[in-house]
Amino acid sequence: MSVSVEEFIGELQRKAERGELLYIGQSLRRIDDLEKVLGKPIYTNDLLPRETLYARLVLSKQPHAILKGIGVARAISYPTVKAVLTYQDIPGENISSTIIPDRPLFAFEKVRSTGDIVAAVIAENERRAAEATELVDVQYEPLPAVFDPIEAMKPDAPKVHSEGNVIKHMKVRKGDVEKGFQDSDIIVENTFRTQFQDAVPLEAETALAIPRDNGKLLIIGSMQTPHHVQAAVARVLGRPLEDIEVIQAVTGGAFGPKSDEPPYDVSSIAALGAIKTGRPVLMSMTRKESMIAHTKRHPAIIHHKTGVKSNGRLVASEVQIVLDGGAYASLGVLVIVRATFHANGPYDIPNVKNDGYKVYTNNTYTGSFRGFGAPQAIFAAEAQMDEIARKLNMDPLDLRLMNMLRPGSRTSTGQLMDDSCGLPECVDAVVSASNYREKRREYSQQSGKVRRGIGIAMLHHGNALGPEGNDYAYVHLSVEKNGRVHLGTALTEYGTGAVSGLAQIAASVLGIPLDYFVLDRPDTLAHHETGATVASRVTAIGGNAARDAAMKLKERATAVAARLLGVSPSDVRIVDGLAFVSGNPKRTVSWEEVVRAAYESGVELSVIGYYMAPQCVWDQETGLGSPYNQYTFGAAVAEVEVDVETGQYRVLNYYVAFDVGKAINPKNVIGQLYGGSVQGIGYAMMEELVHVNGKVVNPNLKDYYIPTSMDVPERMVPIIVEKPGSMGVYGAKIIAEPPIVLPAPAIRNAIMNAIGDGVNDLPITAEKVYRKAKELGLG
Amino acid sequence: MDRIRISFRLNGVEREAFVSPEERLLDMLRDDMGMKSVKEGCGTGDCGTCTVLVNGKPVLSCIMPAFQARGKEITTLEGLNEDSAMKVIQDKFREYHAAQCGFCTPAMEIVGYKLIKESDGVPSKEEVKEGISGVLCRCTGYYDIVDALRSAAEVIKK
Ligand code: FES
Ligand code: FES
Repeated sequence: MSVSVEEFIGELQRKAERGELLYIGQSLRRIDDLEKVLGKPIYTNDLLPRETLYARLVLSKQPHAILKGIGVARAISYPTVKAVLTYQDIPGENISSTIIPDRPLFAFEKVRSTGDIVAAVIAENERRAAEATELVDVQYEPLPAVFDPIEAMKPDAPKVHSEGNVIKHMKVRKGDVEKGFQDSDIIVENTFRTQFQDAVPLEAETALAIPRDNGKLLIIGSMQTPHHVQAAVARVLGRPLEDIEVIQAVTGGAFGPKSDEPPYDVSSIAALGAIKTGRPVLMSMTRKESMIAHTKRHPAIIHHKTGVKSNGRLVASEVQIVLDGGAYASLGVLVIVRATFHANGPYDIPNVKNDGYKVYTNNTYTGSFRGFGAPQAIFAAEAQMDEIARKLNMDPLDLRLMNMLRPGSRTSTGQLMDDSCGLPECVDAVVSASNYREKRREYSQQSGKVRRGIGIAMLHHGNALGPEGNDYAYVHLSVEKNGRVHLGTALTEYGTGAVSGLAQIAASVLGIPLDYFVLDRPDTLAHHETGATVASRVTAIGGNAARDAAMKLKERATAVAARLLGVSPSDVRIVDGLAFVSGNPKRTVSWEEVVRAAYESGVELSVIGYYMAPQCVWDQETGLGSPYNQYTFGAAVAEVEVDVETGQYRVLNYYVAFDVGKAINPKNVIGQLYGGSVQGIGYAMMEELVHVNGKVVNPNLKDYYIPTSMDVPERMVPIIVEKPGSMGVYGAKIIAEPPIVLPAPAIRNAIMNAIGDGVNDLPITAEKVYRKAKELGLG
Repeated sequence: MDRIRISFRLNGVEREAFVSPEERLLDMLRDDMGMKSVKEGCGTGDCGTCTVLVNGKPVLSCIMPAFQARGKEITTLEGLNEDSAMKVIQDKFREYHAAQCGFCTPAMEIVGYKLIKESDGVPSKEEVKEGISGVLCRCTGYYDIVDALRSAAEVIKK
């Protein structure tokens, strides 16, 4: 196909009119996946230097006990063993914690869970290291333990730490719930329970420490936030930050635990081993070690009491959330904040009283995991809505339409929805795509063994960190002499394509194709500290920093191009890597020529972009105010088929719509809707890490099921809604996390539609559905 | 420790190795042969990320002893990177954003390759889902992988 010069010029001119939005909203290919599809050695465990030693963990065998002694002599003399590390080998502080310094790296004086690390064995050979862990002789004196968070809140419960077991109590107080209950026609009360969920990134936690000739250390690992790992390792080693360089290797899934404390553990142990032996040390958790010793999703016990008018108007909502924190605080002290803020669901309710507690127990610890408290909170809130609808004999959709957040309504914290609220559009989209109303009618008169049901759920999700920290980001851009642009940032990529999305934004602003870009590995030495890569904030927040960097770079490049073209910079346009005079694209100079000219005239093509989100203001005591700058909204409809005789059920269709503000790369957004929804389907239907007396009984992928390709709904329909927010780049809202939230309540409500009652504790296994059906006299 | 000398073909090349009786095929491939595309997601035969072809059949290399490779033909992704059908699959994985974190990708591509090679015509969605069901993916929810493989099959089978 040949294009005439005129056509080509016309095209350039038209594209120039898009300005910095040139490539925004296009499903461009990611630039970080070529090495992945070729199977190149890019993950931590692929990068081992010669002479690398292997570390294996000795985990506590007791959930709560005084540590009487650790005998290492037999392990040390085992073939190929080079060192056995315990708390005595820590030159700095024995702390491996994010926020509250309550967790030692190696157990000291006592153990508080079976996930506590007592020692690590380092050997020439991985298998030998594993065998030698059996020879470490740990003596325990068992203490009374507590495994139920409600029990743990009682004053006479065994204390996991020296203070009481309630680590954090978070409140929301709006209006007067007592008066609201009096004004209500009915009161609905229910208790909901959720389970331990394991994130199961297919690459488990791993880090490689390499001693350098100058006495410093290089750490390469699988993680979300390299600067936090650097600080954690420095604290353990008692060394200054500059002695430790941390590089994030390509990371094989993360989902939250890799932003929490597990990467501190593997990196610190590898570092201690490397210093002790003078050789590179790999600390790569086995699946079993990971499933016992990394952070999981908190189990929750959630009680709802709701006052409602007979017409369906919600008047008062009182919610109590108790999270099983396990033995340590971790990022869980922030998880309870998000859970409590979102506890009432996406509804405008005048009177609210929420109490959230994160509580210590002697279970393995819980912390950051995709959704960050929202999956538990929204499961309960959305199940409660269907319970209310049943009491009122109303369609659950109508109940929601009457109460849901719309532009101009207010959240549970009194925040006015004046930014952008696409919830009504999301609901419309899934209701019409699924034919919800018709199917609901159709399914209301079923009898027989196999029955279908359809259910809906919706959410709001406060964007980025909000109350969880300062939302800032740095992005570095620098141009090589050949025109290639390096994008560097300490914001990390672990699968979503978000960092490639940052390059797409920079490419769009600069007017040069995305394939000019190279992503540099996040490196504490090369890149500014930029806060945690959590809360799905890379695109919305990091995007603003990428845009800022690209604007700065563009100004310089444009000045050079203007000189080459003999016009003023305001007349220069750059499109698809060609600079030309606006209105007259006949004469062009290429990006490469511009870069060469810049190099020859000493113009520096290296910049740092920065963004800091507006401060969120809310009251610590009442929770009232605006804890988040903007919200993502979403709605989902699930359609199920239940065999009432066996309790077996399948999700036939799943429709999901999200208001993402602006989809920078729609294909990436869809990837999150698919992937997050399926992880949420696992949470809804099958995943549960089981503790018995503090011991994890299924720390393997044989007994802990995650969805396979055969378990996903036959049809999933992802829908993008765009109502631009005020904070994110080009109006973008965060999207990686919220899709995991909706399957559990949507599926629960669909089953309730099919059989007449819902299961209120996750996961909704066939066995629970069977029991429910039996209770109801079906089957 | 007794080591066993074995010879086998790896990606079309005659190779030799000295392996201990406990050594897994996975370790031999990764550590001794440098085939880093073979991933260890669980080590217990439950995730499929360590899948390689042994005499053309998908095998979990984490539960196969290395010495059993004696006399066999082993294929890893490294050996298929120049294969025209595999190139189409890889290109489609990129087009459909089917590699997110990428950790399951080599195994997915291998089982997908095998499936496409052995089916007459373009496999149905159900057939693809079944064909890849031995490999777990925690990122994509599988939809983009299934679409990528079917789209690749359309090109390969033309
Ligand atoms: S590593 Fe072999 S099946 Fe998981
Ligand atoms: S892409 Fe991450 S496990 Fe499949």
